[in-house]
Amino acid sequence: MDFVFDYISVNTFWTILFIAHALLAVALLGALTHQAAAVLAPPRAGAAGGFVTHFRSVSGPRYAAAVCVLWVCAFILGGWIYAKYRIYVRIPIEQEGLFKTLGAFELKEHLTTIGLGLLPVYWYLWKNARNTAFGSSRKWLTVVLAAICWYAFLTGHVVNNVRGFGL
Amino acid sequence: MSASTETAPETSSRFGTFALVFGIFFGIFYVICDMAALPMFTYHPGTDRIDFGFAPPRRDEGPAMYWYGWIANSALGASILGFLAALLPEKIRSKIPLALAWVVPVVLLPVLIYSLKFYWRW
Repeated sequence: MDFVFDYISVNTFWTILFIAHALLAVALLGALTHQAAAVLAPPRAGAAGGFVTHFRSVSGPRYAAAVCVLWVCAFILGGWIYAKYRIYVRIPIEQEGLFKTLGAFELKEHLTTIGLGLLPVYWYLWKNARNTAFGSSRKWLTVVLAAICWYAFLTGHVVNNVRGFGL
Repeated sequence: MSASTETAPETSSRFGTFALVFGIFFGIFYVICDMAALPMFTYHPGTDRIDFGFAPPRRDEGPAMYWYGWIANSALGASILGFLAALLPEKIRSKIPLALAWVVPVVLLPVLIYSLKFYWRW
C-alpha cells in the first residue's frame, strides 16, 4: 500500500478510508431501517400514500443482499481502521479519562461482530421470504440487526466527535 | 408464532441449518473468547507483529489487539459446529429453534455490557 503515499498523505489516506466506512454505514442504516419498518409495521392495504406509508412499503427481500454486502464492506473497512484507532484515537481518549466513551465503542465493536456472524442466517431467512414459517424470526432478526446498526452508527459518530479528523 | 412452529421440515435445509448454528455459536464463542481472553492470535499494531494465541503488550511497542483473534476463533468454532449440524439427519435439524437466531444476541447483550464494567465509571 505504500505507493499510495506517493500521491496522498497518510492522514488523507486514513481520512478517505474513514469517510468510505461512514458512507457505507449510512447506506446500511438506511437499508436496514426501511426493512425493519417494513416488517414491524407493514402498510395496510388501501392506506393513503404518505411519507410514512412509502417509507415502510419497501420490498424487504430486495434489501437483504445489499444489507449483507454493505455490512461486510463496512466491517472490513472498520476493522482496517480499527488498528489505527487503537493507537491514535483510543490512547488519547484514555488519557483524557473518557472511559464511558471507550466502553460504548467497545460495545459497538462487539455488537457489530456478532451481527456479522448473523448475516448468513439473515440472508437465508430473507432468501426464503415466501416461507411464512420464517416470518417471526425474519422480523425480529431484522429488528436486532437494525438496532445494532443504529447503535454502531451513533457511537461511531460520538467517538468521531470526541477525537475528530487528522489528529 | 412460536419457535416450534417455525421449524417445519421444509425449513431446515442443510445450508439453513449451517447458517443458523453458525449465527448462534459465533456470538456465543465471541463472548467466551472476549471474557476468557482467548484470541487465536494477537496483533501488535505499533509494530505490525502477530503472535500466536494470547500475548501481552510488549514494552515500548504500544498496545496489543485481540479482537481479530477473537473473530478468527469464533468463526472457526462456529463453522465447525455449523458444518456438523448440517450433517445431522433432517429429523434432528428441524428441531433447532429458528428463534435462537435473534434471541441469542439479545441474551448476550447484558453479558457484553457486564464484561465492559471497567469502562462504566461514574
